[in-house]
Amino acid sequence: MDAEILKLIIKLLLIILVIIFASIAFTMNYRKWRTRRLRIIENTFATICSLYLYPKPNEKPDLIGIQRELKSVGIVPSKPRNVQYLIDLMIRTQRSILGVNYIKLKTLFTQIPPYGASASKLNSKMWYIKARGIREIYEMDQSQYTRDLIKLRNNDNIYVRREAQIGIVIFLGWKSLRFLPYLKRQMTLWQQIKIVEKLNDLYPVPDLKHLRRAYNSDRPYANELIMRIIRKFNLTEDIAYIIQFLDNAKFETREAAIYCISSFSLSAEQIREIKEKFYNISNTEQQLMLLKYIQRISMEIDLPFYKDLLYNSNDIIKLSAADILWNNGFKEEVQEYYYHQYTQKADSESISV
Amino acid sequence: MEIDVYYYIYWVLNYFFLFYGFCLIALYFFAIILSNRSVTRNKRKARFLQVNDIVSASDIPSITLIAPAYNESKTIVENVKSLLALQYPFYELIIVNDGSTDNTLELLVDKYDLEPFDSTFITQPIPTSTVNKIYRSRKLQYKQLTVIDKNNGGKSDANNAGINFAATELVLCTDADCIIEQDALLKMVRPYLEEFDQEIVACGAAIGIINDSDVKNGVIEKLRLPERLIPMIQVVEYIRAFLLGRMAWSEINGVMLVSGAFGLYARNRVIEVNGFNIHTVGEDLELGIRLRKHMEEIKVPYKMVYLPETLCWTEAPNNIDILIKQRDRWARGLWETMGLHKDLFFNRKYRDMGLFYYPYWMFFELGAPIVEFVGLLSLVIFTILGLINWNIAILLFTSVYLLGCIFSTISIFIYVKNFKHYNTGKEVVELLLAAYLEPFVYHPILVLGQIQGYYKKIFGVKSGWGNMDRKGFKTLPKEKTEKV
Repeated sequence: MDAEILKLIIKLLLIILVIIFASIAFTMNYRKWRTRRLRIIENTFATICSLYLYPKPNEKPDLIGIQRELKSVGIVPSKPRNVQYLIDLMIRTQRSILGVNYIKLKTLFTQIPPYGASASKLNSKMWYIKARGIREIYEMDQSQYTRDLIKLRNNDNIYVRREAQIGIVIFLGWKSLRFLPYLKRQMTLWQQIKIVEKLNDLYPVPDLKHLRRAYNSDRPYANELIMRIIRKFNLTEDIAYIIQFLDNAKFETREAAIYCISSFSLSAEQIREIKEKFYNISNTEQQLMLLKYIQRISMEIDLPFYKDLLYNSNDIIKLSAADILWNNGFKEEVQEYYYHQYTQKADSESISV
Repeated sequence: MEIDVYYYIYWVLNYFFLFYGFCLIALYFFAIILSNRSVTRNKRKARFLQVNDIVSASDIPSITLIAPAYNESKTIVENVKSLLALQYPFYELIIVNDGSTDNTLELLVDKYDLEPFDSTFITQPIPTSTVNKIYRSRKLQYKQLTVIDKNNGGKSDANNAGINFAATELVLCTDADCIIEQDALLKMVRPYLEEFDQEIVACGAAIGIINDSDVKNGVIEKLRLPERLIPMIQVVEYIRAFLLGRMAWSEINGVMLVSGAFGLYARNRVIEVNGFNIHTVGEDLELGIRLRKHMEEIKVPYKMVYLPETLCWTEAPNNIDILIKQRDRWARGLWETMGLHKDLFFNRKYRDMGLFYYPYWMFFELGAPIVEFVGLLSLVIFTILGLINWNIAILLFTSVYLLGCIFSTISIFIYVKNFKHYNTGKEVVELLLAAYLEPFVYHPILVLGQIQGYYKKIFGVKSGWGNMDRKGFKTLPKEKTEKV
């Protein structure tokens, strides 16, 4: 390799290094400057909110003054990051305030900039801007955009469709179950959790008509979502829906079913049904979880069932069955089993000898 | 004739080193692009799943935190306190006392008011050394704490015991001497909540170095850069490894190693593969590879992911001796694991893992110290033979050194841009200086440690985990003054 080429490479590398140094220095200084700017916006916003919520006697809110003040701290369309920060502040404030002040703040936010910023984000090509716009829409309770959210419920990007689905639940409540069980794409666990929580927070009285219609869906995520709803709203009359999935072929569906059924007390008939399904579960860990649940909710020990497990299942289930029997006063049965094992072993050893 | 042979070897080696170097540089540049994309994407995603949302959710997966402890009496009480203070609605903590010969267990029993309970029928899907007793606290505030006292069987065996006793969907394996960020579990669970078409089998996060920082009640009060050069360089090394390496692999679903100090696993999958391998000191990499192999074999789409945030802090070796021991152990672990899974090498059955990831580890992780060592050796020999063109050699060395500096500087830049742990000018300058000194004062020690490890494996020299003498975290101002 030529020395001149190497010298050139070294010079080039040094220039790159200097550029990275400069980038580090710039980043650090910019961050300091930006933090200061954001603090100014935050203080101005706090003052505006407090003066609006608690004005001096006989003083009317000066909306034009507020707009000027916001403009002076950089809330202008040409500075979208400042606008975004203000929106985040608005959401945070609105989240933490309830009652009359919540309504007053909502009125204030419609009268000050930014105007229509969240809705305009729905047209963005960037998924994170679009998803952010949706989030702002539902956080700021802008139900007039529900139709737009419905259109986005099957979006290619998971975050966009997730936010849209949450928005639909917030605005439509139980009626949203007209859409949710029939989505084109799989639903994540977090989507399910969020939907159930929003229903519980905002629409605590279950609308069984919409829920039961959704029972027809054969999509695994819909089955899991419905089971979680049944659990959250303690719909004891719909437990059968969960029970049918206890021995489902899909691991995640079984997992959700076992988790959801665990919060219910069951009738003798339902317990019998579960015991039948127990044998069809292919995963030992899930069998163990179900066994613990059966033991917890059963009024009395079903001796034939546990003895059957003690003699005819795998070692882990055997041990659990022994544990349950032992701790419920059936020590003799356990001892008999182990004695039986011992003699069997001794016999086989003597034969081999 | 003899000179011709030397000359021939000289050129073959020269071209080999050049080719190897170019491959490495290309890979590093590729890693920078991927990791930057991955970090940015992670930041964007995090906005839509904030820890505040997760903490109030009710159906999130439960987690058991497993921390093996062997002779950790200096730090155990503080660290358990820290682990108990983590924010997560549904989590259990299992401390596995792995046959400590000091008073680790007594301290735990005393400080946390533990009492033994009947464990006759507790099932153990993964075989481990004998479990002597299981303790739970009488105090309500420590109700999620379980201490397993077992015979010594090593870290993997202790982790396996913890996995056996856990009753949750996810298990987080960590070290009892690690300080975990308060919201770490909330962040670690994110991939499990968000994934829908691939099963997350393991998730890791960046690990930081805490030497000389102030820790009070198991929480970092003030993060400082280490005072000594060796741990300071390790800060840069960890930033580079996690931010450039692991994040890049994560972006292409190529993570094979989730660090043993901080890894979250799906318990059912770990049990299916029979837990950690107790016969290797590289148990974290080995488990990662075995999990991936298992998922490939059962044909379930899966993912192993890494988070860019530093969620776990640990004490790094403070001096050369301990550092060499540590790297010797890591090298042995790597050697053993690569040997155990050599069937993966260019095996199309395992798709990308067989065709790219495993060969990468073979050539550039396992092979790098050997190449470096051979390089140094040939430099000495060719100098003696007078075959070195020093003018070109120095220029080449400078170029390679500058390239190394660029990679380290970029990783520091990505770190400074995205995280606020080291944000003063002084700290950044110190980190940069440490990075630039690394090739001279630190890297040769690493190569020495790694070659020592390989030597032990080749010649069958018996060696175990070795102990790392810790200073302990109780760096309270009063004690600091006393120390001074």
